[in-house]
Amino acid sequence: MLIQILNGIVYGGLLYLLAVGLVLIFGLREVVNFAHGALFMIGAYIGFSIAAMGYWWSGLLVSVFAMALVGCALDAAVFSTLRKHDHIVTVLVTFGILLILETVVTKVWGKAYLTYPVPPLLAGTVSIGGSPFPIYRLFVIAVSVAVAVSLSLWLRYTRTGLYIRAASTDARVTSMQGINVDRLSLIVVGLGTALAGLSGVVAGPLLSLSPTMGNYILIDSFIVVVIGGLGSFAGAFIAALLIGQIHNFGAVYLPWAATVLPFMLMVGILIWRPTGFAGSRT
Amino acid sequence: MSLLAFNDVHALYGRARILNGVTFDVDAGERVALVGRNGVGKTTVVNTLCGVTRIGQGHVEIRGRTIKDLRGYTAAQNGIAIVMQGRGILPNLTVEENLLLGTATGRKGPWSLEKVQDLFPILRERRANPGLALSGGQQQMLAIGRALMANPDLLILDEPSEGLAPVVVDELAALLVRLGEDGIGILLIEQNISLIHRVAQRFYVLSKGAVAESGSLQNVTRDELERHIAI
Repeated sequence: MLIQILNGIVYGGLLYLLAVGLVLIFGLREVVNFAHGALFMIGAYIGFSIAAMGYWWSGLLVSVFAMALVGCALDAAVFSTLRKHDHIVTVLVTFGILLILETVVTKVWGKAYLTYPVPPLLAGTVSIGGSPFPIYRLFVIAVSVAVAVSLSLWLRYTRTGLYIRAASTDARVTSMQGINVDRLSLIVVGLGTALAGLSGVVAGPLLSLSPTMGNYILIDSFIVVVIGGLGSFAGAFIAALLIGQIHNFGAVYLPWAATVLPFMLMVGILIWRPTGFAGSRT
Repeated sequence: MSLLAFNDVHALYGRARILNGVTFDVDAGERVALVGRNGVGKTTVVNTLCGVTRIGQGHVEIRGRTIKDLRGYTAAQNGIAIVMQGRGILPNLTVEENLLLGTATGRKGPWSLEKVQDLFPILRERRANPGLALSGGQQQMLAIGRALMANPDLLILDEPSEGLAPVVVDELAALLVRLGEDGIGILLIEQNISLIHRVAQRFYVLSKGAVAESGSLQNVTRDELERHIAI
């Protein structure tokens, strides 16, 4: 049972890393980014290419940095102009980006499933409650918790964090205080996509690499964002842990219903609270 | 040189023309009222200053310098703080965080968190509460306090008396006069005749998106001002 709970936390942690990027981007740009799963996938492939040369940790750093740059470019070239359009336009454009990125990856790395190695430092297992548990999975939990704590402290106790929280609620009022929200968005979208890259690299050894690897986890991430409440970081954290457990226990005890359980939970929560756990927007 | 000047400004929402050649100015330490009925374009003046509405013709000057690319942050970065209609309190931030947001431009001056909290002690008392947990009058104090935190040279208030009890409007009038006497320019966008008459030295009447009348309030009675607005 303990091992099942830990596995649920591992998946929940990955979902959080991805969902928090969606929350950041939606908060400032009001863009529902369907390309986020593709950014997760690209991050994984970049990390994989460098890890395959024997530099796993460098792969992680390069991937995070490269995805941050991709995020800044996306914000400046696409998201900053999308905010003037209907949500349906943003959905179509980001979906188009998803298709382009999947095609690029297929051309560069091929369609075949690839296996991402575990770094030697984190290979092996530890005994938890008498059962072996991979060290690498504990590392995934540690990364997720570290990101959640750092992000929470940064948003809560720094000036930039205050401005981001303000702009996520009302960009116009925030701008009228003298804050350049476009510049702030560049940081936020860069951070959000960097976290997608981090999530992709960290998830790599747990999942097989393929051009469509981001699609399933993106759907679960959207469920996390909706359940947690649009724009809520704390809500996303709680929802990610919850969906992680449901995903894992569903797969073990109710395999015939595992795929629909997160959707059922989402419908139930939206009926109970249309803004999600901690959101203020519907 | 004026702190803020609109020179023959024609402003558009999309293709709809809202301002049809508005001209007015506010000097340092001056208290000016921009008055008019609902829908004549008063709030569009603020929106134009914040880059929400596009300028089709004419220009806006801040301290004599023509600002071509008006953005949401332009006014604040040039020492103009705006208390917007509806107050613009951010509900997910505490009272103190809402105030600290006002310091984003980093302008130095006499106003600090402590001084604003001395002026409005309720904001110190309720500093950890969410901004929207305050009453209407307290939210107005918060909005003005946040604007003062920016140490502005000019304070623009858009319909600040809206939804306030008469006793709170009296306090607001006294405060705005005091701020003006301390050297902060005031641009009061209002239709509350009593408040305008107690605060402003000069007035501009907006009608159909243009200035229809202007002058000194010393020479105009409340009834006359009311008639000007009604035209």
